Amino acid sequence: MSADPLISVRSLSKHFRTFERREGIVGGLINLFHREYRIVKAVDNITFSIGRGDMVGYIGPNGAGKSTTIKMLTGILVPTSGEILSNGFVPWRQRAAYVKTIGVVFGQRTQLWWDIAVIESFKLLRRIYDVSQRDFDERMELFDQVLGLRAFLHTPVRKLSLGQRMRCDLAAALLHNPPILFLDEPTIGLDVVAKDHIRQFLRAINERYKTTVLLTTHDLDDIEQLCRRIMIIDRGALLYDGPLAGLKERLLRTKQIKFILRDGEQAPRLAAFEHSLSASAQNGLLHLERLDEMTCRLRFDRSSVSTSDLIRRILAAVEVRDFVIEDEPIEEIVKRIYSGEVFAAPPGPQP
Amino acid sequence: MNARNVGFVYRKELTEWLRDRRTLISTVVIPLLAFPLMMVGFSALAIMLVGQAKKETPKVMVLGGEDSPAVLEGLHKLDNLEIVPSTPNWKEMISNKEIRAAVAIPDGFQAALATGEAKTVLIYFYEGELKSSFGADRIEKFFKDYRDRVVRDRLAAKNLPETILKPFEVKQQNVAPPEKVGGAAFGGFIGYMVILLCMTGAMYPAIDLTAGEKERGTMETILSSPLARLDLVLGKFLLVLSASLATATLSVISMGSSFSILGKFHAFSGGQGADLHLQIGVKSAAAVFLMALPLAVLFSALLLTIALFAKSHKEAQSYLTPMTFAVVIPAVASLMPGIELSPKLAVIPILNTSLICKEIVGGTYHWNYIALIFLSTCVYAAAALFLATKMFQRESVLFRS
Repeated sequence: MSADPLISVRSLSKHFRTFERREGIVGGLINLFHREYRIVKAVDNITFSIGRGDMVGYIGPNGAGKSTTIKMLTGILVPTSGEILSNGFVPWRQRAAYVKTIGVVFGQRTQLWWDIAVIESFKLLRRIYDVSQRDFDERMELFDQVLGLRAFLHTPVRKLSLGQRMRCDLAAALLHNPPILFLDEPTIGLDVVAKDHIRQFLRAINERYKTTVLLTTHDLDDIEQLCRRIMIIDRGALLYDGPLAGLKERLLRTKQIKFILRDGEQAPRLAAFEHSLSASAQNGLLHLERLDEMTCRLRFDRSSVSTSDLIRRILAAVEVRDFVIEDEPIEEIVKRIYSGEVFAAPPGPQP
Repeated sequence: MNARNVGFVYRKELTEWLRDRRTLISTVVIPLLAFPLMMVGFSALAIMLVGQAKKETPKVMVLGGEDSPAVLEGLHKLDNLEIVPSTPNWKEMISNKEIRAAVAIPDGFQAALATGEAKTVLIYFYEGELKSSFGADRIEKFFKDYRDRVVRDRLAAKNLPETILKPFEVKQQNVAPPEKVGGAAFGGFIGYMVILLCMTGAMYPAIDLTAGEKERGTMETILSSPLARLDLVLGKFLLVLSASLATATLSVISMGSSFSILGKFHAFSGGQGADLHLQIGVKSAAAVFLMALPLAVLFSALLLTIALFAKSHKEAQSYLTPMTFAVVIPAVASLMPGIELSPKLAVIPILNTSLICKEIVGGTYHWNYIALIFLSTCVYAAAALFLATKMFQRESVLFRS
């Protein structure tokens, strides 16, 4: 973090008023006449700052307040209380001028026109953002080199694959070369190759233009490959804000292998395998669960066992039709943070 | 407000709108093709059915009358009626359409005529059944002619002139120009159609540009662009207005041409149909369009505002369906006979436009009312547009959860 932050957020809160729905038909009828409202603290008193050129990961379970924060940072929502100063602007007050200095990508939604060739959207965005023709051509050249856009520039957006569309959306968000880029789940739903493409591109623009990036994600690989710093939010409050390095071992400790048995005959062999596992688990975690008749999940501590070793052992013990290796879901990590497993002391936002 | 940005939004929405096949079908193809087809088709079908009914010789039954041979003979001589032998289940046969009507001749009918006693001839028919009415009409005509003949004979026998029963004639004479006759009949209908189509034309884009945008999740992306919310709402509003006017214009053109085609073929040539002028002059068409303009603005702004509250297409549709009734009822009210423009009615939105359109198509221009109606609708439209821009600034509306 540099001494002079590009984005500074102080005591930021956003509360929504929602009404409690009663259940059933009678409840539905009562709802029509009498509503009980409840205040939901989507973001509750968070403070952080981000320096120029930083790439920060913003993670948390669903409904934790990530998107609400991004919407306030991009000037779409007005905070209930607190302050934001981003690139010298107060987002919601000087929105039109401010958004010309930021780029925003919302993972599952596109800002490109659905039925029209990609290039037409780019041309319109060029005019909306007042980008000169020379700059436009130059950037399109660069985007093409890194993202390989040329092949589908004249295809309507609805015909693009999700990965192609995401590449186009990223290019669209960066057309005016903003110093700040907000990404809301940029890799959601993408395959491994497409994810890699996006990550490479983000690294490239961060190095070349010193673009400051704040990205929310569910994918811990995004964080590992892109960010040196992470912020964890849950139920509107910041649980952790600091370097990834120290936390990585503690946070990303558990992995899981899900495997599907070839047939019902494997049951006795699986039981024997389970027995051998419990014998070999010394101090680390090594836990096998049956998810259903054919599917099993093996959770393990990756600091004590290597993934390849385990796979070899599984394949030797039972006949397997298919398997996947996954990180522990973020919800589980947050649960562990709460239970005090990750931090010795109760968690709190760190400067 | 930045006119350039409003233009960007309008261009974007227009391009997307024109690329959408559903749009082309609902705004261009349906009004241009379906209306003429529907009207020509319906009238052709109606003419065909009526013609067929007229061509058929109705079977009728005569009940009684054995002692009135002259009457029976007269009936049997008619070549547009087929007399079938009488049976006791004649009522059932009329219901089953085996015969179309029955006539009961009272006992001693002919004898009573000679003595001057008045008896009643009863004609039985099935009301609402076209062919049954035709049969009954023909029987009735026969007996009326017969009665006239009896009257004439009696007068002649007493050497009295026929004018003793009809001392003078009464007749109605039309003074309205032919254009006005057509206007009275169709003026209200055209105003009603224009109003309804201004509304339906605006409905689909209003939903798509607000609730549809929310559903696709593109509301956030467009809100995070440097376009001000005012520019956004104005650009969207202009597109909805264009759609509304395009639908109304195309429909009026296609309706106008199908009317004139029908007029040429004398499709309504039953009685007064032949001198019914169905063509609408260019002048009155332009005037109707001008009067519909502020109303289209009102509808577009209102629909946009209401649809903005919805989170999905489905929800928006359920909000807007009651709106259709709110528009149809005053528009239909103007078609009711006897309802006329008054200063009070002239400030009731929709109803006033519908009434003035009727007058305009009928060839009457009440300039005071035209000014009052145009201005009052402009005021309502401005208020609706103001409301739309205010709603677009509200987070609780844009991001309703």
